[in-house]
Amino acid sequence: MTVTPPARPLWFTGDALGPRLARHTLTLVALALLLLPLADLSIVTRDPWAELARMAQGLAWPAWGAVESPFHALGLTISVALWGTLAGVVLGFPLALLFHRSRLIRSGCAFLRAIHELFWALLFLQVFGLSALTALAALAIPYAGIFAKVYAEILEQTPRAPVDALPPGGSRLVRFVYTELPLAWPRLVAYTRYRFECGLRASVLLGFVGLPTLGFQLETAFREGRYHEAGALLWLFYLLIASLPWWSHRRLLPVLAIGGAFLLGPWPSVDGALLWRFVSQDIWPRPLLEWDWPGLASWLTRIPDLAPAIGNTLLLGLLGTVGSLLVALAMWPLASRHFGNRVSRLAGSGLLVLLRSTPELMLAFIFLLLLGPSMLPAWLALALHNGALIAFLIARHADSLTPGMPNLPVSGRLAYELLPRLYPSLLALLYYRAEVILRETAILGMLGVATLGYYIDENFQYLMFDIAFFLLLVTAALNIAVDALSRRFRPKEAPLDVPGMD
Amino acid sequence: MRWIAATAAALALLAQGVQANETFRFTAIPDEDQSRLIERFSKVADYLEAQLDVEVEYVPVKSYGAAVTAFRNDQVQLAWFGGLSGVQARRLVPDSRALAQGKEDAEFKSYFIAHRSTGLEATDELPSDIRDLSFTFGSKTSTSGRLMPEHFLRQRFDEPPEAIFSRVGFSGDHSRTIALVESGTYELGAVNYAVWEAAVEDDRVDTDKVEVIWSTPSYPDYQWTLRGDADERFGEGFGNRVRDALLAMDDPELLQSFPRSAFIPADNAMYAPIEQVAESLGLLR
Repeated sequence: MTVTPPARPLWFTGDALGPRLARHTLTLVALALLLLPLADLSIVTRDPWAELARMAQGLAWPAWGAVESPFHALGLTISVALWGTLAGVVLGFPLALLFHRSRLIRSGCAFLRAIHELFWALLFLQVFGLSALTALAALAIPYAGIFAKVYAEILEQTPRAPVDALPPGGSRLVRFVYTELPLAWPRLVAYTRYRFECGLRASVLLGFVGLPTLGFQLETAFREGRYHEAGALLWLFYLLIASLPWWSHRRLLPVLAIGGAFLLGPWPSVDGALLWRFVSQDIWPRPLLEWDWPGLASWLTRIPDLAPAIGNTLLLGLLGTVGSLLVALAMWPLASRHFGNRVSRLAGSGLLVLLRSTPELMLAFIFLLLLGPSMLPAWLALALHNGALIAFLIARHADSLTPGMPNLPVSGRLAYELLPRLYPSLLALLYYRAEVILRETAILGMLGVATLGYYIDENFQYLMFDIAFFLLLVTAALNIAVDALSRRFRPKEAPLDVPGMD
Repeated sequence: MRWIAATAAALALLAQGVQANETFRFTAIPDEDQSRLIERFSKVADYLEAQLDVEVEYVPVKSYGAAVTAFRNDQVQLAWFGGLSGVQARRLVPDSRALAQGKEDAEFKSYFIAHRSTGLEATDELPSDIRDLSFTFGSKTSTSGRLMPEHFLRQRFDEPPEAIFSRVGFSGDHSRTIALVESGTYELGAVNYAVWEAAVEDDRVDTDKVEVIWSTPSYPDYQWTLRGDADERFGEGFGNRVRDALLAMDDPELLQSFPRSAFIPADNAMYAPIEQVAESLGLLR
């Protein structure tokens, strides 16, 4: 009698990188599918077309004249992004050097990253008012946390050989400057550039809370249905992002930075009393400050129901991440030089610029009209925005690769050559992005999806800073936990190979 | 010694100079059409400057929350608030007072609007058929888009909105509420009546698809509020002069920015009902 061993497909058992990444991906997708029934995905469509047609007309016939001082808004957007990113580098780099040695620093950085730029802005707004300082701090502080993490991982991946070759006795600084830094430099610069593009988007978003960047007028025009004006502003922003490779030349950046510094303003007169009142009173529950325990109990009853809020936040985060993966896989070939012709590539790149530059809130509103209120518009907006961003990075990475078998048909080139080489970086990028997606679930609360961010925003509006602050702490704790989990389960072989880093 | 005295004298002069030239700042968020805000409100600033004989500057803000914060932090001394934001602001800044309201604000109201697919008709009493439909408020801190509609809903049904409707949303803005109900995304919505009427007049809304089904009883809404320390800083009687300047504003172009037909006197007590409702809904504490 012969026993045939159960035939298990290779991807299920293989120990090589490919099968492991495949298993990893499939687990993620399976988990999303499993939890899908918990998500509220009902669809209601009645008459969305009139409003959507108005939006399309607005984008097709932008009203350039309606925009109030567009050049100032544009200049300020760039300037805030540039100086915010620079300040993030200055704060983040020293932290990166200590990142792997101290759990405290790792958690601290995860805390900084966990809070969305908009919420940092809302916090600083209470103290510094509508000023350049609020804008810069709202960018620089979370970016410091991000730079610390990413720089640390880039430095970790620099080859050890040059360090080992040095004679013993040199100081730590000498070793760093002569062996690690030069090797890591191109990738550090490339990542910083990429972050600058994110900074531009965030700078626009800061307009949504009232800082006079492009987003200020964009949000009002869009909210009030003045789509021709919103169209003009959106085009301005698309052009800014699409032309980034030309105007962000390294020789031009210092000029932009110095010129932009004059645009920054107004500078607040920092009022010590205000600052002290905010950090010592406003953000703490009053019963706690007065040691009033029964009062504290009744304060706690005012906290919104946390379990569903955390559940919704995590669910939307997971769905958004898996959606982004699928969108990225489907879209990257559109903008890569290995596929299509000039025209199709131009269209593909254009589409990616459009999707990654349109603020998620606007994408979400379009889907809200189309599909009705549920978690679905938020999911789609997150997946398209972040998926397009990853697709763009992967397409650029693909462009740097030379196919070894030039005679393969297109499908073969995709399946056998490019995808296997790109997939590890794609997954790595997705893991970085997952954290951002979790953060962004917060600002889609306006769709009525009761995420943590929905309640944070609500309590900022009610001026109940103590509850908002408490919820921010909960959000940060959640993010730190997710970060720890993803550190643990992330395939170590998935390198951080952000394109342009080669 | 002389040197120190000279410096002190110079500093005192400088301080006096600063005080004399202190800029009076105000902010305003109109409930509709916020296009070209700076341009329009700079004209209002010019008007106030001519009337008050101090430098006046308009500070653009985005939301009522930001306006209240700016007022509390003394980044603005005068603000055109909604009913609820005005109450919030006056609670936070001692002795601040409501100076004037729009002629329309003494008897403000909200409209409940419905998508045609609901088959609802305009009635004098809020119909019980609205149960289990989907419903959207405007912004969370809007008096006409949230506070008073929720108050009247609770009065009618004795239940919170989440229990009355199948789904409750916050569109964030009156224009959005209209757009969302017109497209049927939500079946019902509550909207500032002035915004609705302006939209109908400008033909920005398709009344075959969305109609008013109920109008709330009237309540006080928008008002100008001045910080309590204004007299101290800008001179005795400054508050009254600001009020007089506002009441005397008769240029239609300036009034259109708010948009109101005229300003009439107001005081804090007029807004007590708003305060009570906000407290009972847990929006104030």
